[in-house]
Amino acid sequence: MSWSELYLGPGTWILAVLGGGLLGMDAVSWPQVMVSRPLVSATVGGWLLGNPVAGMLVGGVLELYALRHPPFGAAKYPDTGPAGLVAGASFAASGGAAMGAFLLSVAIGWGLGWIGTVTVQIRRRLNERIMSPARELAADPVLLEQRHRVAIWLDGLRGAILVAAFLVPSVLVVTLVVGTGPSTLGRYAVAALVLGLAGSAGAAGRSSAFGVRGWPLLLVGAGLGLLLVLGGLT
Amino acid sequence: MRPLRSDHLTAWSRTFAVQGSWNYTTMVGTGIAYAMLPLLRRIYAGDPVRLREAVERAMGPFNGHPYLCAMAVAALGRLELDEVDPQTIEKFRTALRGPLGTVGDRAVWGQWRPICVLIATLSFLLGASPGWSVVVFLALYNVGHLAVRVWAYATGWQAGLEVGRLLKGAWIERWAEKIWPLNILLTGAVALVLADVVVEQSAVSPAPAALLGMGLVGGLLAFRFPRQGGRLATVLLVIAPLLWVLGGVVG
Repeated sequence: MSWSELYLGPGTWILAVLGGGLLGMDAVSWPQVMVSRPLVSATVGGWLLGNPVAGMLVGGVLELYALRHPPFGAAKYPDTGPAGLVAGASFAASGGAAMGAFLLSVAIGWGLGWIGTVTVQIRRRLNERIMSPARELAADPVLLEQRHRVAIWLDGLRGAILVAAFLVPSVLVVTLVVGTGPSTLGRYAVAALVLGLAGSAGAAGRSSAFGVRGWPLLLVGAGLGLLLVLGGLT
Repeated sequence: MRPLRSDHLTAWSRTFAVQGSWNYTTMVGTGIAYAMLPLLRRIYAGDPVRLREAVERAMGPFNGHPYLCAMAVAALGRLELDEVDPQTIEKFRTALRGPLGTVGDRAVWGQWRPICVLIATLSFLLGASPGWSVVVFLALYNVGHLAVRVWAYATGWQAGLEVGRLLKGAWIERWAEKIWPLNILLTGAVALVLADVVVEQSAVSPAPAALLGMGLVGGLLAFRFPRQGGRLATVLLVIAPLLWVLGGVVG
């Protein structure tokens, strides 16, 4: 793919940044309808760059990785909304076919998800300042409402900034890799991702199981998956 | 004064933003106060001093699953209406935090969300369009999401102080204990089909049978040792594009 074929005009960029704001807000602040899940956000990213199938493929892998990080209690988990959008858009922009671009898009999405987690923590510290002093806010409920809404908008701004900062560099880096053809080491690269998926699935299965007795079900599930593959249903 | 239906509707809709100002001091406490305000304004209409005291109580530290916080908002509003003394309200808040977090985390984050995500992913891998798969996920997930929020709010308002007792063994908890096998089955199936799609897409063929065997062993080991397995999976995710690029450079 040549640089001229790459479609990332200002209009698409603005839409992506606005989308990043909404996706950034959705995970925690409002309305938690889960458009921030990578399966959705990466598909949106792919759709923005003209290839939703490519976006969803990236989203599917990110989803399997994200599933082993349920947000139980104070657990840290990747902020996959803006990250998924950037990853899906990057792979779509690269043409949505090259394996090198796919591997890099997924890795970028995962890394950006954890960068997003750091920004979430910074925002939470900022919220402490916004929502204080408590006595003053209690005396003026309108002020409490205003500050609460400001905190939500800041979360949106956080998501928008992540997309604004990382979308173009990510698209450019992933597009650079498209030209990298398959090699002997490429075989191991694909194997690494597949084994990573298996490991992630195992860890995700454990987090949803009540105890360790669920492991045979994981095998049965894989067996069903194998039947679907061998049956030509995929 | 008793809250009107419109007050309840506003308070319920505000529970969607209950984590909006989550912070390390009060956690979701300020969000609880934000959601309760329509109720408190009606209950303490014309009495700014008691309204201020009630808002201050509502802003105290609190945590719980965001969807089930609707239950806390309604139950705490009910206690204010019933003029329960502040010390009892404080004890009630403290007692409610644990169950609301545990039940919601296990049922919604632990089961419902993964199941919906996996069904949508599988539908895509089996040939459904991305748009259709996204719609399946969002529609399926949010039917459950809205049902939980409505049930939580209605139960909280009706039960008041009794809400903790009702939460123990509630349908949501029983349901979570029954549905987890489906979650693991789907995880295994999606992982295998997704891996197949990835291998099919690559121009290199990394010995499918050997890869399948290693993947099964790796998956089971990660199930037994999830922390280590998860970390290794992340390392492999990062290594994969590096190997690809390196292979392209060295040939």
